[in-house]
Amino acid sequence: MYAVFVIFLPFIMAALLPPVHRLIGDRLIGWYVMAVPLILFAALVRLIPRIADGEIVSASYAWIPDAGIDLAVRIDGLGMIFALLITGVGTLVALYSIYYLSPRESLGHFYVYLLLFMGAMLGVVFSDNLMLLYTFWELTSISSFLLIAFWYHRKGSRYGAQKAMLITVMGGVSMLAGFLMLYFMTGTFSISEIIGMRESLSGAPLLIPAMVLILLGAFTKSVQFPFHIWLPDAMEAPTPVSAYLHSATMVKAGIYLVALFTPLFGGLESWFWSLSIAGIVTLLWGAFNAMKQNDLKALLAYSTISQLGLIMSLLGFGSVALSESAAGDPTAYAAAGFAAFFYLLNHSTFKGLLFMVVGIVDHEIGTRDIRRLGGLMSFMPVTFTFAVIGSFSMAGLPPFNGFLSKEMFFGAAVDVASGQPFAGGAEVLFPVVGWLASVFTFVYCTIIVYRTFLGPSQPEKIDRVPHEAPKGMLVAPGILAALVIVIFFFPNVVGKYVIGPAMSVMFPELSRQADLVPKIEAWHGFNLPLLMTFGVIALGLLLFITFRHWKKVYRVAPFRWTMDSIYRSMLGAGEAGSTILTDLYMTGRSRDYFAFIYLFFLVTVGGMLFLTGAFDPDFTRGPVGIFEISFVIIMAFAAIAMLFVRSRITATLLNGVLGYSVAIFFVFFRAPDLALTQTVIETVTTVLFLLCFHFLPEWKPEDSPLRTKVVNGIIAVGAGTLVTAFGLTVQGYDVYESISGYFEDSYKLAGGSNIVNAILGDFRAFDTMLEVVVLFIAGIGVYTLIALKPKKGGDDVEGK
Amino acid sequence: MTNLLLFPILIPILTASVLLFFPKRIAAQRAVTVVGLVASIIAALFLLRTVMTDGVQAVTLGSWPAPFGISMVSDPLSVSLVLTSLLITLGVVVYSFRSIGEGREKYFYYPAILFMLTGINGSFTTGDIFNLFVFFEVLLLASYLLIVLGGEKRQLRESIKYILVNVVSSAFFVTTVAMLYSVVGSLNMADIAEKVTEIGQSGILTVIAVMLILVFGLKGAIFPLYFWLPGSYAAPPVPVLALFGALLTKVGVYAIIRTVTLLFPHDPGFTHELLMILAILTVIAGCIGALAYYDLKQIVIYNIIIAVGVILFGVAQMNMAGLEGAVFYLIHDMLIKAGLFMLIGVIIAITGTSNLREMGGLMKTYPGLAWTWLVAAFGLAGIPPLSGFFGKLLIVQGAFEADNLWGGIIILASSLIVLLSVIRIFIHAFWGEPMPVKGTSAGIYRGLLIPAVLVTALTVFYGVGTEWLRPLMWDAAEILHQPSIYIDAVLKE
Repeated sequence: MYAVFVIFLPFIMAALLPPVHRLIGDRLIGWYVMAVPLILFAALVRLIPRIADGEIVSASYAWIPDAGIDLAVRIDGLGMIFALLITGVGTLVALYSIYYLSPRESLGHFYVYLLLFMGAMLGVVFSDNLMLLYTFWELTSISSFLLIAFWYHRKGSRYGAQKAMLITVMGGVSMLAGFLMLYFMTGTFSISEIIGMRESLSGAPLLIPAMVLILLGAFTKSVQFPFHIWLPDAMEAPTPVSAYLHSATMVKAGIYLVALFTPLFGGLESWFWSLSIAGIVTLLWGAFNAMKQNDLKALLAYSTISQLGLIMSLLGFGSVALSESAAGDPTAYAAAGFAAFFYLLNHSTFKGLLFMVVGIVDHEIGTRDIRRLGGLMSFMPVTFTFAVIGSFSMAGLPPFNGFLSKEMFFGAAVDVASGQPFAGGAEVLFPVVGWLASVFTFVYCTIIVYRTFLGPSQPEKIDRVPHEAPKGMLVAPGILAALVIVIFFFPNVVGKYVIGPAMSVMFPELSRQADLVPKIEAWHGFNLPLLMTFGVIALGLLLFITFRHWKKVYRVAPFRWTMDSIYRSMLGAGEAGSTILTDLYMTGRSRDYFAFIYLFFLVTVGGMLFLTGAFDPDFTRGPVGIFEISFVIIMAFAAIAMLFVRSRITATLLNGVLGYSVAIFFVFFRAPDLALTQTVIETVTTVLFLLCFHFLPEWKPEDSPLRTKVVNGIIAVGAGTLVTAFGLTVQGYDVYESISGYFEDSYKLAGGSNIVNAILGDFRAFDTMLEVVVLFIAGIGVYTLIALKPKKGGDDVEGK
Repeated sequence: MTNLLLFPILIPILTASVLLFFPKRIAAQRAVTVVGLVASIIAALFLLRTVMTDGVQAVTLGSWPAPFGISMVSDPLSVSLVLTSLLITLGVVVYSFRSIGEGREKYFYYPAILFMLTGINGSFTTGDIFNLFVFFEVLLLASYLLIVLGGEKRQLRESIKYILVNVVSSAFFVTTVAMLYSVVGSLNMADIAEKVTEIGQSGILTVIAVMLILVFGLKGAIFPLYFWLPGSYAAPPVPVLALFGALLTKVGVYAIIRTVTLLFPHDPGFTHELLMILAILTVIAGCIGALAYYDLKQIVIYNIIIAVGVILFGVAQMNMAGLEGAVFYLIHDMLIKAGLFMLIGVIIAITGTSNLREMGGLMKTYPGLAWTWLVAAFGLAGIPPLSGFFGKLLIVQGAFEADNLWGGIIILASSLIVLLSVIRIFIHAFWGEPMPVKGTSAGIYRGLLIPAVLVTALTVFYGVGTEWLRPLMWDAAEILHQPSIYIDAVLKE
């Protein structure tokens, strides 16, 4: 119940928001919204001791029980970390938004989306059913879509929203496919049950495909290369949204997913390599691209990409602990997992802080382009302080929490490079690339601080007089800044109460054997990681100072490549190609359409006739007399001649020849009723045709190219031949007893000695009645065609 | 009451006949049409309850014994389709009050709809293959009437193609029925199924099955036989388009379902494999078409084709999950397509165009429309818990069970294209800079939006209430999976 309450409170509050908004007005609505995460945060914090004891709070309600889809929620250590971020950062972001957003904006929409997102995100981390998780997962994509396009009159916002949605939903759909494979293998959607079946699943043929598909979901959401391209465009969202969704929470859903499935897939070689390589590449590419950005938010976006790559690679390193072939102490590898969570928490604090700082700059100065900024330190001392704290923490300097986690990352990378159990070789690059990316990180952190707050002031390039932000706006970043420092001094509290429980979820068996919570120390002697940090600072400063000289590399391939252009050209080519392809066969000409039908008939039915070996013409039935043959010749002559005649009246008469010949065949086959009917129909049609003759347009011989004529001719002859072959085959079958014998008693049964009449008028009178209706409708149709015509020049019938 | 299953067919035809006597009195036309539809819906609801409690209902007309007269059969699948068609028609009729215009209303618009409904419900209910042909003719003739009603140039041009294609398709149908009768010697579907099961499905019957797939595929718009659809559906006004889009292709789909599950399920290596390949190609072709256009009508029309592919793919799996998913998805798609077409009708009424590039910024002035569209779009794409989700989920499960991994993945991937195609409408029409619009009166806006919202709401309930519908869908799929239930109900009455 508790868990369900936690998930659904935001949804309920979102539903109540419009009336409340009307009641309390724009000024107070933000506080109403802020109460939601605050209450939830408090509720979750109360749970921490129980969760830390290894307890799991869960609840389950039936939704579609037969299909295994339940509203099953569970709060465990892993979900807890994320939930604390969602509600904690959520509270601060709501507080920040109150001052950030002007009441002129449509606050109602904004806050509804925000609450929807919050609920969905809590749902993702607390679901214990794959389908429930997927539902919430897509809901986060949708709410992100709506929030990115909050200012939907801007083109960039719409573009960014569509792109983010497409990429994340693509990941979601692929994840769904992976989930369905898991269901197929296990027969359950319950996550805890699936994790419990780890042993029996090893070696299942669908395990690796399922893993790949699920990873695709995680990588798109957590912006791993090359799916990272949506995040920079998502920066079109209001800054509080960027701080919340696109740095602290939603983009970490993929991390959550990977951690969640680590007990299942961890230890697989492909899992290790996928995560590590994707993570490391993302780390480097993000950091490399962050340096060249002029827009502070874009810079932070690339930095987020880079750091999510770092976390992803740490999870990859940590998964080695689950491998049976891992040499040495598995707990040493598990430390990488610990580092991942620690980095995750720290990242949310310093990155949230930096986004808020950028938001303040944007809000007060009116721009966030570093080419127009500089020297703001004296005008905005508090903001400057926050920027320094956030940036230094991100750069990995003491005394900030980022230092601790970056050291742990170096340590983990070095460990895995020296002893991972799988065949490879790429692992030696991990610490090197990680170190290089850290140098880049140092450079862009310096850029943030220096180009914004230090250096020469450029008042001529900005429209407003710089001044410090209002106090209220400084509260939320202030709290985050304090956390950045507090965590540095008391990391082990976090380690024990928050990360420890998550570790026991990620490494269930291992955590029973050993304590997976290392003691975090700021000072651990002059070891390799510390030396690496010194190197980062030295080379980073050098690169920063010489940035002007080497930034030309961004114009050189492959460094100038952006995955974004691939996305654009794919989308563009998709639309253009579709149009070309569709126009190609949608000719609008009935002639082509008939060719399609008959060609399809030839290929499938003809193909089947021979593939099944059913073709077995039966020539034994009944003698074919001279009359039949002569009429066949007449009909064939008439049909062929019709193609070549030059006047409509001749064609009409030839058509009549065909019809009357059919009637004569009925006579041959001793079906006088049918012969009569056919004669009447034929006479009436011919007469009607001649009546209309006067009104018909001039007869124009077809002027299609010879090639088309030949092809269509072949198709036509083929179709005719096939029907004949089919008919000849069919008449040889008499394995089944026909119902027709029954009707021979028609006089006794229905009081009519003419079987055909009895069938039409009694046995199958319903058909006859409906055919009368058909004629009737046709009559109405003709009448309306004549009577109802649109007025000249205008269209009175419907707006077009 | 054994005749109960005839009421949803007979009430519309009687209502239509009554309407013919006073074509110019619009108020009376509307009132009688609504009364007739409501009465049919009530009858269908009773029928649904009877089918659920007492099992498959069957009656052979004229009290002739089963294979000799014409049997009408109502199983959970057919009664669900009948009820859905009636509900959609009611929605479209109410929608028409504000959109179709007096001209058409005075010229047998409502009778034509009811005649078409007769044909549709009859096709869903009949248990006789020749009678199916006759009902097809009824619905086709009525659809010819509807497509040309109003006599606009575009309607005339497109209706001639529509009629020509359908005449060819009808000729194929009669030919096939003749061949079938010549081989099996029966027209009663249950009887045919029983004979085929007893003696075995020889090669020639498999060929006939493929012929039937061709015939019904032309109606149901499968690859590569859907080419006639986009042009001719776009010609008539939106309410007619909504009816066609929601109902007509589904009749073809339904007939294919019966063909491959009831009549000829015994040679899946040929028939079902072919159907599956065609279904996947249909999905792909539909996706390509949906991306190719910036025209509201065309985008949604191509989505019909995608859905047909998805449903038939599910059927081709021939396992419970696939079949149940197909049934779920079939009814979902009827409802959602009706809703989508009605909504684009509102957009067209406001903007005066169906070209996406000429509209924008409607969110500010028409928020209700915008949100309804978004919900419908997500429903179409199968975002849980909306209506498209569960059916597709089951279909993909069925595919995995039947070892068609890639097929399942293609079906899932198509959701993405579907989403893109309809979200593009949202982004272009509702977001962005406001464009000058033709505008419409508040009365017309409400009159159009309310039925559209109601139909969309129905899809939402359909999705959220999946659990309540499951027994029905399960029964429907079970009969498809084990046709002996159907056969026994018809032949042993």
